[in-house]
Amino acid sequence: MEMTDAETRRRADAQTNQLPVIDGELVEDSDSADAALIHSENKKPKTKNQKYEAERRADNGQTRYIFLPLIFLTVALLGGLRLSAEDDAFLFLKPALVCLIYATFLLILFFRAGLLRLDGWFSESFPTLKNVANATVLLALFFASAQIFNSLLPERGLPFWIFAFCFFWTLWNNLFVEFQGKRLLQSLGSVFALAFVAKYLILSRLTAPASASWWRGLLENPTQEALTWFLDLPRFSAGTGYIQFFAVILYLLGLYLTPATTKK
Amino acid sequence: MYSKSVWQIITVKERHIQILGIVLGAFYAIFIAWLYLVEPKSIEEVPAKAQESIENVTTKTQIAIGTYEIDRAKFNEGLAAFRQDNFIVARDNFEKSDPERRDAQTQFYIAYSFYRQGFGRVSNDDALFKQGLEQMNRVIALDKNFKSGDADLQLKTPIELKNEFEEGLKVTATDFNPFKVLRERK
Repeated sequence: MEMTDAETRRRADAQTNQLPVIDGELVEDSDSADAALIHSENKKPKTKNQKYEAERRADNGQTRYIFLPLIFLTVALLGGLRLSAEDDAFLFLKPALVCLIYATFLLILFFRAGLLRLDGWFSESFPTLKNVANATVLLALFFASAQIFNSLLPERGLPFWIFAFCFFWTLWNNLFVEFQGKRLLQSLGSVFALAFVAKYLILSRLTAPASASWWRGLLENPTQEALTWFLDLPRFSAGTGYIQFFAVILYLLGLYLTPATTKK
Repeated sequence: MYSKSVWQIITVKERHIQILGIVLGAFYAIFIAWLYLVEPKSIEEVPAKAQESIENVTTKTQIAIGTYEIDRAKFNEGLAAFRQDNFIVARDNFEKSDPERRDAQTQFYIAYSFYRQGFGRVSNDDALFKQGLEQMNRVIALDKNFKSGDADLQLKTPIELKNEFEEGLKVTATDFNPFKVLRERK
């Protein structure tokens, strides 16, 4: 027996009416949202190294190519700057040859300790522009290193040779030691701090202040005048110490910001 | 998003940063080298030193491209002072008119001023004559065939003037000749 269309529709309505009623609110299909969340969670760097790598990939080089040369060149500017004891006039002292030699030692040390990686700064696979930009940064680092020695070495006399020998001894020893980059930074920081204290706190205290005449100076500050003469200490204004303090801090900050490699 | 730096927000390409870094670094390095070269005593002195350097570079460029000329006004002032026997002012003006010491005529006048100032009937001023002799060598190095067209000068060529300096510096028996006081300045 065949059913008519009207009969079929009536039976279907009856079945629908017999279904139990369930109260509830409409909710979104959460499958896709969960997937996105899981995906983004997976993409988030979990370890410190992953975070560092992610930051490095996002970096477009402004620290490396803008701030680092500016920091190092500022150190190069300040490293040879002194203020005259008489009238606070600028005195620009060019670095001695020994400063350039020590700066070369220091750069070799940076490469040996892994603070800088040669293949990470210069490579045939890099575009020429990148190699040139990297060379600019390293050149600025070299000048800053030379000037930081210029800053920390006494200008002349016996103290110059003593300090120069101490720096030579330290650098020469370090050249043959297995270093980590971080340890090298700590070691350099402590050596520079010691040299700074010795030159700008101790030796400057031994230096007699500028006076109208040698006789007057001898009468007023006999010990200082004798030590100044004996050690051939130059007389600079107190402001020199402040300038050189910032130069050393800037140099160490620049080293801290310098990456071992520029590869992404 | 808010923690992103300005560089990242405006999405500057690394290539542009590198170019900017090279240019900024080069200019800053040149500025530092210039400061160490001219050694200004204070910040106030920096503009004056900059102007001096620009003038110096301009003169050097003029020499290189062959357009160097002496300052005619200063030269004429020097010449006027020279004719009035005011040799110190004359030399100052001559030196200012030819800062690069490349004009044989100006340098000849400077040497001549040493001669006239140092000439003495009884004895010459040896210090001025020595300076004049050095100056004369400079003129010969610039133009050994130089001949002055100034009718006021009796010694027209560098060789004549040099001989006068050399003779003036020597101590000979003729120096004790009492008639020497009658000789005239050339």
